[in-house]
Amino acid sequence: MAETFVPDPSERINKRLPMPYAAQFPDIIKRNYGKWVDRKFHGNGIIEHISESGESIFTVKVGLPPNSRISVDTLKKIIDVADSYGLKVVRATRGMNVEFITDSLDKAKKIVDVMKGYGFPAGGWENSLWHITSCTAYLTCSTFAVDAPSITKALYDYFMPYFTGEEKLPSKLDIFVSGCTNICAGTLAGDIVVVGHWGQAPKPDPEKIKFCLPTSAEALKKVTPDVAAVCPVNAIKLYAKEDGSVGIEVDDKRCIACGRCKNVCDYFDWDPDKIGVGVFVGGKTSNTGSGPRLAYRIVPWVPLNPPEYREVVAVVRKIVDVWKKNAEPGERIGDTIDRIGLEEFMRQVGVPKSRHNACIEVSWNFGVRQFIKYV
Amino acid sequence: MTISDIREQKISEDDMKALEKLEKGPWPSHVTELKKTRYPIEYYAWGVMHKYSPWYSGSFRVRYVFSGILARRSRDGKVSEVHFRTYSPAGRFLSTAYLKKIAYVAEQYGIGLLEFAGNTGAIVINIQPDKADQAIDIIRNVMGSDVGGSGDTFREFYACPGPALCEFALYDTLAAMDFFRSHPEIYKFLNTQLFPYKLKMKFSGCPFDCAGANARSDFTFIGTWVGAPEVDQEKLREMIKSGKVDPKELAKRCPSGAISWDDDKQQLKIDGDRCLKAMNCIKMAFPAIKPGKNRKIAMLVGSHAQAHYGPRLSWGVALLDDYKEALPFILKVIDIYSNNAPRRHRLADLILRRGFRLISDAAKETLPDKPKAAPSSHLRFTTGVVLSDDERVTYAEWAKSLVKDYYGGEQ
Repeated sequence: MAETFVPDPSERINKRLPMPYAAQFPDIIKRNYGKWVDRKFHGNGIIEHISESGESIFTVKVGLPPNSRISVDTLKKIIDVADSYGLKVVRATRGMNVEFITDSLDKAKKIVDVMKGYGFPAGGWENSLWHITSCTAYLTCSTFAVDAPSITKALYDYFMPYFTGEEKLPSKLDIFVSGCTNICAGTLAGDIVVVGHWGQAPKPDPEKIKFCLPTSAEALKKVTPDVAAVCPVNAIKLYAKEDGSVGIEVDDKRCIACGRCKNVCDYFDWDPDKIGVGVFVGGKTSNTGSGPRLAYRIVPWVPLNPPEYREVVAVVRKIVDVWKKNAEPGERIGDTIDRIGLEEFMRQVGVPKSRHNACIEVSWNFGVRQFIKYV
Repeated sequence: MTISDIREQKISEDDMKALEKLEKGPWPSHVTELKKTRYPIEYYAWGVMHKYSPWYSGSFRVRYVFSGILARRSRDGKVSEVHFRTYSPAGRFLSTAYLKKIAYVAEQYGIGLLEFAGNTGAIVINIQPDKADQAIDIIRNVMGSDVGGSGDTFREFYACPGPALCEFALYDTLAAMDFFRSHPEIYKFLNTQLFPYKLKMKFSGCPFDCAGANARSDFTFIGTWVGAPEVDQEKLREMIKSGKVDPKELAKRCPSGAISWDDDKQQLKIDGDRCLKAMNCIKMAFPAIKPGKNRKIAMLVGSHAQAHYGPRLSWGVALLDDYKEALPFILKVIDIYSNNAPRRHRLADLILRRGFRLISDAAKETLPDKPKAAPSSHLRFTTGVVLSDDERVTYAEWAKSLVKDYYGGEQ
C-alpha cells in the first residue's frame, strides 16, 4: 500500500469517521435493505432471510476465541473464506463472534465446513447457547480482578455442544464473563453473568499509594481527591499525618468491594486467594416473557483454580441443569425463575444462603413497558 | 505467602506449561492466537496462574489525539503495551477490503493481534508504541477510520444490524447511529475528554433489543409500536394447520394475557391496550403475526453496567416518531450532565442524586408533544461483596462438592 501522503498531525483533531455503513454492503443487501419479510433456520449457525422480492441471503455464525482475540493469521483466513464463499463481507456480532454473509445454502454449508476445518465451530441461534462474551481482563486491561478469557475458554469447552446444537436447551442462553465489577463483558442483564470481584476490601500499597494522594494534607481542606471521592460508601478515609503528608485508611466493614477506587488508582492490592467470581442469573434485555431486568446474585463467591476453573464451570453447569429440568419450552432462565419462584430455584441449585444472596424478586416494568399506559 | 512474595516471583516454565492447558479443549483458544503474535505471553501466563496483575495502567500520548488510545506497563517496567480502539461502520458490517487494511495495520504497526469485536463496538488493535504516531496516520488515511471512544467522551456507538439483515427492524438503526455520530453537535465531543464520565448511545430495532441498549447505554433507542401486533389470519390458519403453531400456546405464552383464540371463527384476537410488546407471539408465529404498523421509537436514558451506584436499566423518557427528534433533548441532557455531575458519575448517578425531574423537565421543554413514559428504576445494586472467612469457606466447600459431582473424585 502506498504511503506517499504527508499528513498534517493537527488535522487529527477532527476525527475521521468510518465510511458510511452502506458502502460495506454487498449489492443484495443494498437491493433488499429493509425489505426482509421471512426467516428460516437451517440447523444451528445458519439463518436464511427472505426478501419480499424473493431473494434470500444466508448468514453463518462462527465462534471466535474468547474475547474475539485473533491473530492476523486467523483474520486472513476469515477474509479468505469470506472472499471465496461469501459476499466479501462479514459482521462482527455483539456476542464476540463473526457472521459470514452469503447467497446460497450450499455456500453457507461450505463456510461451516471450512471454518470447522480451521477449528472454528458454527452455531448459535434459536434454542441454543448464543455466545459467551468475555471482557479483555489480563489481555489488555489493568483494573481486572480475575482473567475472564480463560474462564470463558473453560466454559466454552464444556458448553460447546450447546452452541453447535448437539445438545438442546429450552431457549436462548447468553453467558457473560467479566474480569471485575466494571462488567465490561457488556451487561448485568444476561441469562448467566459471571463477574470477578475482589471479595475483600482493597489494601493500599504502603510504598506507592502516595502517587494517588496529594503531597500535602493542606490540599484535603480544599478538595477530596478522586481516590476517596469515588467511593460510593465513604469507606476510604484520608487524614493528615503528623508530618503533614496524607494518610489513607480503608474501612473493611463498610467496603462493598465495588472496585471504583481501583479504577482511579493502581496502587491497591488484594490477596489472590480471596478473589473469586459471583454468578448472577436470570437477567435479560429482551422484552420477551417478564421483560428486561438485571440478573439476581445467586452465588456471591466461587473460588478460582486456574487454568481449568472447575469450580466456576461446575456452578454454571448446575444452574443450567436446574433450568433445563424446570423450564417449559421457549422459556429463558429469568422466566423460569419467575414461574417457579426464586426461593425454589435457589433451593434446587443448592447454594448456601447468606446475607450476600438474599435476593429480592423484581416485579416492576422496564424497557419499552414503561410506555404501555400511553399506548 | 504474602502479596510482596507473590510479586517477587519470577515468570517460570511452570506458568507457561499450565497455560498450554488452555490450548486444549474443543473451543478455539485465545492462547493459540496469542502465540502466533508478538504478544508478551509470559506476563499473561504469570498473571493467570498467580491470580495477580503483572500490569499497571499507563498513559500514552500521540499528538492531537485525545481519545481512543489505551496503554499499560508491566510492574517490572520492562514491557509497555499500547492499543487503539478504532471506529467501525454502523452495524459492524466489515467488507474484506476493509479487513485487509486492518490486517495491514495490525501487521506493520502492531504486533499482529486484534480484538475483532470489542464490547464497546470498536475494533481494538494492539500497536507497537514506537510506531503509534505513524499508525494513526495510516488508520486515518489508508484504513479510512480513526481511533476513538475511550475516556470521558462519547464511546463508540452501537447499532443492531437492523434493516440490513433483520425482519423485525422497526426503524433504521444504522442510519440513526450514523446520524448521531456524524452530527456536528455530537461529533465535536469525539476528540475531547469534557464529560464527567463516559456517555454511550445504542440503537435496537425492536423490543428484542439485540444491541443490549436497555442495559448499557446512556441514550437508548428501541423500536416499538402502538397497539396490537398485525395478524394475518389466513396465514396463521395455514401455520396452525401445518402444525407449526399451536394457538393455545400462543395465548398461554402472552405475558399479559392479551391474546385469545376463537375456535369457532378460527380467529386470533389481540387486545392492543394490554399488549406489552413482549414479542412472544411474533417469535412463535412469524410472519403470520408481525409488529404493528403504527411504529414508534422508544427513547430511554441512563442505563449502564459500571457506575457510582451500581448497574441499572434505562428510565423511559418519550415515544418518538423519528430518531432525529431526539437531538435537542440529547444536547440539553449533555449540558445538564456536564454542568451538574460530579467527576466519574454516570448520567444515572446524577439522576439518582438529583431526581428524575432533571430529565423529565428537559423532556418537557424539548419534546413537548411526545407521549412520556412512567419511568421505573431499581434499588441500589452492588456486584462485589466482602466476605467473612466463614462465608468463604462455606462457598468454597459447596463449589467443591459440585466439582465432585460433575468431575468425579479426582481433583
